[in-house]
Amino acid sequence: MASHYIGEHLLPGQIGHLAVIVAFVAAWVATIAYTVSSVQQQRHLSDMHSWRRLGRMAFLVQVIGFFTIFGCLLWIIWHHYFEYYYAWEHTSRDLSPKFLLASLWEGQEGSFLLWALWHCVLGLILIKVSKSWEGPVMGIISFAQCCIASMLLGIYFFGYRVGSNPFILLRNAGVMPFEPGPDYLSMIRDGAGLNALLQNYWMVIHPPVLFLGFASTIVPFAYAIAGLGTRKYSEWVKPALPWCVFSAMILGTGIMLGGAWAYESLTFGGYWAWDPVENASLVPWLTLVAGIHTLLVYKHTGHSLRASFFFFIISFILVLYSTFLTRSGILGDSSVHAFTDLGMSGQLLVYLFVFLIPALAIFAYRYREIPAPRTEEPLHTREFWMFIGSLLLFISAVFITFTTSIPVWNKIFHTNMAEPVDREFHYNRIQIFIAILIALGTAVVQYYKYKQNSWQYLRKKIALPTAIAVVACFIFGWLSDIQYSKYGLGFLIAIYLLFFTSIYAVIANLGYILFMLKGRLRKAGASVAHAGFALFLIGVVLSSAKKQVISIDRMGMMDVFDFSNKNENPRENIFLPFGVPVQMGDYDVTYVGDSTAPGDPKIYYAVQFADRQHPDKPLFTLYPDILKNTKGMQGYSANPHTQHFWNKDIFTYVNYASNIEPDQTDTVRYHTHALAVGDTVFLQNGYLVLRSLYRNPTRPAYRPTPQDVAVAADIQVFSGGKSYTASPIYYLRGNEQGAVDDTISSLQLYLHFEGIDPAAKKIMLAVKQIPPKDHFIVLKAYVFPFINIVWLGVGITILGFLMSLVHRIRQQMEKRQISQKPVYATKDVDI
Amino acid sequence: MKRSSIILLVLIAVAIGVIVSLVGDFSTYETFASAARHPDKEYRVIGVLDKSLPQVYDPQKDPNYFSFYVKDKAGNIRKVVYIGSRPTDFERSEQIVLTGHMQDSVFACSQILMKCPSKYKNDQVAVSNMKAQAQQVHAEVK
Repeated sequence: MASHYIGEHLLPGQIGHLAVIVAFVAAWVATIAYTVSSVQQQRHLSDMHSWRRLGRMAFLVQVIGFFTIFGCLLWIIWHHYFEYYYAWEHTSRDLSPKFLLASLWEGQEGSFLLWALWHCVLGLILIKVSKSWEGPVMGIISFAQCCIASMLLGIYFFGYRVGSNPFILLRNAGVMPFEPGPDYLSMIRDGAGLNALLQNYWMVIHPPVLFLGFASTIVPFAYAIAGLGTRKYSEWVKPALPWCVFSAMILGTGIMLGGAWAYESLTFGGYWAWDPVENASLVPWLTLVAGIHTLLVYKHTGHSLRASFFFFIISFILVLYSTFLTRSGILGDSSVHAFTDLGMSGQLLVYLFVFLIPALAIFAYRYREIPAPRTEEPLHTREFWMFIGSLLLFISAVFITFTTSIPVWNKIFHTNMAEPVDREFHYNRIQIFIAILIALGTAVVQYYKYKQNSWQYLRKKIALPTAIAVVACFIFGWLSDIQYSKYGLGFLIAIYLLFFTSIYAVIANLGYILFMLKGRLRKAGASVAHAGFALFLIGVVLSSAKKQVISIDRMGMMDVFDFSNKNENPRENIFLPFGVPVQMGDYDVTYVGDSTAPGDPKIYYAVQFADRQHPDKPLFTLYPDILKNTKGMQGYSANPHTQHFWNKDIFTYVNYASNIEPDQTDTVRYHTHALAVGDTVFLQNGYLVLRSLYRNPTRPAYRPTPQDVAVAADIQVFSGGKSYTASPIYYLRGNEQGAVDDTISSLQLYLHFEGIDPAAKKIMLAVKQIPPKDHFIVLKAYVFPFINIVWLGVGITILGFLMSLVHRIRQQMEKRQISQKPVYATKDVDI
Repeated sequence: MKRSSIILLVLIAVAIGVIVSLVGDFSTYETFASAARHPDKEYRVIGVLDKSLPQVYDPQKDPNYFSFYVKDKAGNIRKVVYIGSRPTDFERSEQIVLTGHMQDSVFACSQILMKCPSKYKNDQVAVSNMKAQAQQVHAEVK
């Protein structure tokens, strides 16, 4: 039955859904055409070119398809077409343009779309640069595009819905509370909006970068599979290497942008919480980095090729696995990231297995054919220790995955296991030892040579950096004064070990750039990345082991439990009554007021910090806030606010406030007083006087109209030895009456001019004062020392990746110009 | 035996050892009764908030003390004391996961996870023009 609805814009949705189908079909055509072309290429058949042309055309068509989907969805969101479920569900009219864009990837469909768009961009570049690898590599990417397009189809096959169509109409989405009439749209004023928690500029940058990272892992994977499929086991290495570096760089950046977001605006109390979704994106990065190292070993010595295949295959598979964990709803409520379940977990599993099974099958089937030298690497060579380092990264990935997958184990084995009670220590107590070994490896291994038993050489070259590092360790070890007793002496020793090995790694890598590379920065990418990573580890050690909770409450203690043999559970919340300074660490901290703005769902709490020695001179004021979640997620969530210093951050958030739950403040009611000029009203700590009444008041909050008759009360308040003034306004506008209230926020005094009694020459003034003891916040405050070293380390690591990426690309372009060189170069200073 | 094989075997042995120790960390979902049998260990208990019994959170007296009553899956009701602030929207929770240990007849809780009603399933389209009215009123007050 086709009924007519007023005001709907159906065209963009129809174009969009058509584009989904076109993209899906074209991606299939591209997959088949490219696959046929690579088989033809193997057999040196001449129609390979025409198949490849077809593949290119089809790929181009699906690129246009995906960009059309994106354009239509953006058009719908931009114009607030709430007849579309996606626009209604994820946006609202008050969103600024950048959040309108960001709301596109709040939902699963939009984030799949983002992923596909990056595949399109990468695919176009590959068509341009991949030469003879185009057929197999593009075939694999096209196949991934089919899978992603199928996630957006929303079409039923044999009673099973494949994908979720982002262009579904609101009236078809099953959320309408009534049968929509022809004019139903006039009743839909606004959408549900973007979750307030996500209305943050990080939401604009973190997902696109992370998804570029995810998308780019397919390129090394595709090269590796292409190498296996075409039996060109070593030729894929060189063209793939820059892509591997690129992928690790972007994925790493995306992950750490997430860390920065978590640090800045979530209340984890840090940049990393070993959250299942964080873990799931970290793990492919670890295996990717392991793969880069084994690939370099292979390039220089011919060893470790099999391991390289394995690492690049597994990296992409782990990205798919992380997609499954995040989007299938299997993580439940254990993660902040989990998308809502769209009932696609079956399809997500298919997506995982259509890549996993063939990839592992061809790897196992061709394993014996992959060239591997019969002789072993000697003990004192670079390649041997680089291989060990890669294994360590892999083992780290295995451990992280094992615990992260608890919900999966429960599903498979029908068990009822729960996450470890102390999640962070569960991970840290293992990962710290791996980190120690990795730091040590990044310090020492590059001083070895490839293919030579070079123990003597190493000893000679590394002596100076080692000596400097030993001195530095003594100095910094003493200065840092880490006393972290929570998990006993053993863990404290491990912390110091990590601190020292990381210092060693920074110095040894700087030494390598200065003495071995003689400052030739072109080749220093690896050393820069290693030094940056070690610096990052130093930052992690200092900021977490010396993290200090300064809001420890020593007053309360209604009932104290013995947590001494359990995880320490310090009393980390402190009670801050309005206007009363409370000691916190080196500071006197005062809650001085709160503010709200219309249209902003946040309440900001002003918290003033002053030096204990000079309590009169405030040093700085922080504004942690509490926001009401538009989607009713948890009612309220706290947003921290941080004061940055060069050597530390002071990080605060409000855990509870007297005014977040309405019943709290409503217990205090207005009392109405009839006042003549000169009358007084007694307040909690003082009194107010009605000094005079005057006509035609001017206050910014009051916008007069010509027909107004307005009166203001000039009120003076005396409290605590100070004097304040206020002027509430009462007006008549035609037949209506109105009032403009006034507040003295530092006294929590609210004044409302109710009306005038002309006969008695009195005014009716309603007065409300919230007693200070009922006006408070409960605050948590941390000090993170040297957190900037974490961000600096991340930045330098990314820079190192970028340098080596540029170096790799330049190398390839030069080689292409000269001619083909033998596969194994034998330079000794080249990572 | 080749050195790489030895290294591989050692690594596998270490990895298995570590994984066994990781499993040792895993917690299980218990009831108050089963948690009471091992008061020295921390467990997770799933239950629902008993709204008929009193909740105490008085930050003026102690900002780190919140007590309430929970009915676990076996139907037993116990007092829970959480050392921390009262989570917002506590009443709306459908299900609570508590981490902690039994001490006498009280569950000493170090972590609360709340499961709130699904954020999307209960969504209803807001069809009134209340919001527009409210904005108007707001503008008038200003």
